Amino acid sequence: MKPKVAFFDFAGCEGDELQIANLEEELLDLLGQVDVVNFREVMKERSDNYDIAFVEGSCTRLHDEERLKEIRKNAKYVVAIGSCAAIGGINSLKNYQDLDDVRRTVYGDKAKLFDTYAARPIDAVIPVDAYVYGCPMTREEFLQVVKSLLLGKKPDIPNYPVCVECKKNENVCAFERGQFCVGPVTRAGCNSCCVNEGTICWGCRGMVDNPNENSEKEVLIKYGLTVDDAINKFKLYFGWQERKR
Amino acid sequence: MRVISKEDFGKFVSSLIQDDSLNVVGVKSKGNKFAFGQLNDASDLRLDYDVTLLPPKKYFFPQRETLVTYDVANGFFAKDPAHLKPTVIIGVHPYDIVALLHMDEIFRETKSDPYYFEKRKSSIIIGVNIQNMSKWCFAPQMGCATIEYGYDLMLTDLGNRYAVNIGSQKGQALLDKYAKNVTDALARDIQLVGQKKQEIVNMSQQKFNFPIELIPEMLNKTYEQSGFWEKHSEKCLACGSCVLVCPTCYCFDVKDSPDLSLKEGERIRTWDGCLLEDFAKIASGENFRPTRPTRYRHRYFKKGKYLFDRFGFVSCVGCGRCSSNCLPDIANPVNLFNDMNQEVLNMGVEIDAPAQPEVNLKTEGDINYTPKLATIVKKTPMTIKETLFEIKLDDGSILNQVPGQFVQVSVFGVGEAPISVSSSPTQKGTFQLCVRKIGSVTTGLHALNVGDKIGIRGPFGHGFDTEFLKGKDLLFVAAGLGIAPLRSLLNYVLDNRADYGQVIVLYGCKEPRELLFGDEMVALEKRDDVEYKSTVDWCPENEVWGGNIGVITTLIPQVNFDPENTYAVVVGPPIVYKFVVSDLKKRNVPDDHIILSLERRMKCGVGKCGHCQINQIYVCKDGPVFNYAKIKGVPEAL
Repeated sequence: MKPKVAFFDFAGCEGDELQIANLEEELLDLLGQVDVVNFREVMKERSDNYDIAFVEGSCTRLHDEERLKEIRKNAKYVVAIGSCAAIGGINSLKNYQDLDDVRRTVYGDKAKLFDTYAARPIDAVIPVDAYVYGCPMTREEFLQVVKSLLLGKKPDIPNYPVCVECKKNENVCAFERGQFCVGPVTRAGCNSCCVNEGTICWGCRGMVDNPNENSEKEVLIKYGLTVDDAINKFKLYFGWQERKR
Repeated sequence: MRVISKEDFGKFVSSLIQDDSLNVVGVKSKGNKFAFGQLNDASDLRLDYDVTLLPPKKYFFPQRETLVTYDVANGFFAKDPAHLKPTVIIGVHPYDIVALLHMDEIFRETKSDPYYFEKRKSSIIIGVNIQNMSKWCFAPQMGCATIEYGYDLMLTDLGNRYAVNIGSQKGQALLDKYAKNVTDALARDIQLVGQKKQEIVNMSQQKFNFPIELIPEMLNKTYEQSGFWEKHSEKCLACGSCVLVCPTCYCFDVKDSPDLSLKEGERIRTWDGCLLEDFAKIASGENFRPTRPTRYRHRYFKKGKYLFDRFGFVSCVGCGRCSSNCLPDIANPVNLFNDMNQEVLNMGVEIDAPAQPEVNLKTEGDINYTPKLATIVKKTPMTIKETLFEIKLDDGSILNQVPGQFVQVSVFGVGEAPISVSSSPTQKGTFQLCVRKIGSVTTGLHALNVGDKIGIRGPFGHGFDTEFLKGKDLLFVAAGLGIAPLRSLLNYVLDNRADYGQVIVLYGCKEPRELLFGDEMVALEKRDDVEYKSTVDWCPENEVWGGNIGVITTLIPQVNFDPENTYAVVVGPPIVYKFVVSDLKKRNVPDDHIILSLERRMKCGVGKCGHCQINQIYVCKDGPVFNYAKIKGVPEAL
C-alpha cells in the first residue's frame, strides 16, 4: 500500500508547497509512490489518516503548538520543509525586536487580538524526523528526501558548508568579487545555486552543525564589513540557531 | 623542438575544435579568474593565465561521476565507457602536469581505478610554460615550475610564436594532423626557451626559510607538538576549500541516487575532503577525527609525510590554490611549514632530510566497483539489533575469504557498507554476516527477507594469518559485536582443531540479551578442548545471568595461558582495545602476540577514497586485522 502523505503550513509564504505543486512531470512519478491525503494549496479533501506529514512554516504562536502536536500524533514521520519550519527562517528576525512593537506594526490598533511569541522552527515544539532546508527548498532535495524516506534510508543532507559546492562548481568566490557571503558557515545541499548565479549565499539553509562563527565574522570584517553588518549577516536566517548556541 | 606562429597555432586549435571526434578544452577567463572549460573558439584560449580555479584533474576524476547503475530486477552494471571521446586539454601548467603524474601513481597503486584511467589514457595534454604567476604560487620551490615529461606537447610563448616541445608520439601525431607551418626551432629559439624557464623559476613571491627536503621529518617532530596545530587551525572554517581545489587531492565519497521508481538508479562518486567534519564518521556516530586541529593536521601529514612514505614524493606541487582559496588565510603551506621549521628550531632538535623511501608499487588488476548479485538464503534474528544473514552469490562462485576479511554489502537504492564476514571459509557455498541495525544500509538490510537480492563486493583487506597461527595457543577476546569478525577465525580454528594449541575464548557484552551466537557459545562451553568464559557489564533485574558480571577485562585474570606461545586475538568496539591490550601486557603477552581488527568508515575498500585512513595506514587495505606491534606507534589507531 502506498504511504499516505499530508502537507501542513504554519507561518510562512507557502513557497515550499508551491515547489511541490511545480514538480511538473516528476509530480506524476511522485504520485505513483504516495497518496496525497491533505494538501490545502492544491486540493479540497482532508484526512487525518496519514503516514508522512510535511510541515511548512515556523511556529509563531502558542496555540500553533496544539496543531503541531496533533500532526505529530497522527504521523509516523514528520518532515520540516523550508527554512521557516526547519530553522526558524526569516520569521526569526522578529525575535530581535520587541514583540509588542512587532504586533502593533502588523496589526495596528487590533494588535491586542493577535497573540504572538518568538518565531521558532517546528523542532522546538515537536520531534522532527527529517529536514528539507532552503528558502524555498529545492524540488531536487525534496524528492531526494521523499525517496530516502520511502527506501527507509537517512536522507543525505550535507553537514559541510556551501563552499564545498562552490568549489566543485568552480565559482569565483563571492568575496573575490567584492561581495559578502555566509556560505562558509551555511549547510550545503543547494548546489550553491545562488552563487552559481553570480550572487551570494544568504544562509537560507541554516548553519552546519559546528560552524566556526567567529572565524566567519572575522572574514566578513577583514573583507570590509562593519562589525554591525557582519552581525546582521547572521541575523537574517541564523537567528534561532544563534540563540540556541 | 618545433616552432609555430601564433596565427598558425590559432588555426591549429580551430581545426581541433572543428573535429567532432575530439573534445577540446582549454583555459578561458571566468570573471577575473580563469578556468578550464569547453573551447568553442580558439580566441577564447587564455594561455597567459596565472592559475585556474580548479586543476585539470576534473577531466579524469570529475566532481560527480557514475560508477555503477542498477535495477532491482537485474542487478548492478558497470558504467559503459564506450562513447568516450579523446579530450585535448590545452594550456596545462607544469605544476598541474606533475600533479597528474602523482594522481596516476595514487590511482594505480595496488588496484588500478578504471574510471580514472579510461579518461586519462584517452586524453591529450598540451602544456604551456607559465607566463604569469599567481602571487600564491610556490611551484618553483617544489621543483614543479617546469617539466620535461608528462605532456604530449608543451608550449612556450616566444612573442609572436610558440616553441613546441613534443613529449609523445600522440603529441607528434596531433601536430602532424592538425597544424600547418610548423618548423624546426632555431638555436636562438631553443636558447630563448631555456631563458624563459630560468625566469619562471625566479618568479615566485613565496619563500621557504629551509630546504623543503626536511618537510617529512619536520612533520614527524611536530605531530604532537602542544598547541601548534590548534593555533594554526583556530580559524579553520572546515569548509574544505583547500582540499577541493587541490590538484593532488583524491578522496571521494560514494552514494546511491535512486530514481523515483525506486527500482533503478546510479551509484555516484563525488569529491570529498578530509577537512570536512563528517569525513571519518561512521554509522554508529563515532567520529575518528572529530576536531578541526586533527583534520587540519591530517591534510599536511597526508601531503607531506604519508604519501612521501608510500610513493616517495611530497604530494604538493606548489600551485598555491589552497592558499588563495582560504578565506581566513590559514592554508598557505609556505607559511605553515616556515612556522613549523621555527617550531622545530625552538625545540632544539637537529633534523635531517629523510632517506628516499623504497617504493615498490604494484598493480594487481582493476578495482571492481560493480557488486555481484547475491541472495539472502537465511535470516536469523539474534537480538533486538542484530541479525545473522546467510548469503549466496548468484553466479555460483564462492567468496573465498580469509577469516577476518570484510565485504562491501549493497542494498538497492540505499548504498554500500563494509561488513565483516562472520563465517569461516570452511563453511562452503554460503557465507554469513552478523549485522547490527545502525545505519541506512544495515537498516535496509534488516528490512529484506529470504530470497531478496543484495550486492556484494570483496572480500577485502588483510585477514588473520591462519597459517602463521598454526601450533600456537590462541586467546580470543571478543567484546560486543566484535564476536562477528572473530567468529570467522574461531570457527576456522575449531574446524581445524588439531592444527592449533590451547584455545581460550573470552566473550563479553553489555547485558545478557545482547549475547550473540548463544547456542554456539553453549556448545563451546561444553567442549573440553576449548576454555570459554563470558561476562556481561550488568544484568538488569528482569534478565537471568549465572556467569561473570563485569567488563571484558575482568575475565583476563581468570584464565591461565603461556604468554610466550599465546597469540591474543582481540575484536571489539574502539573503546575496549586500550584496556584489553593493557591488561594483556600485564600478563606479559608480547606486543607482537596481540592481533586486533579495527573499524573505520570505508567507501571504496581498496585504499583510495581516504575515509578509513589512520595516519599512514589504510584500514581497508592494510587491515582491518593488524598486529598490535605494527600499530601501537600509530597515534590515530587506538
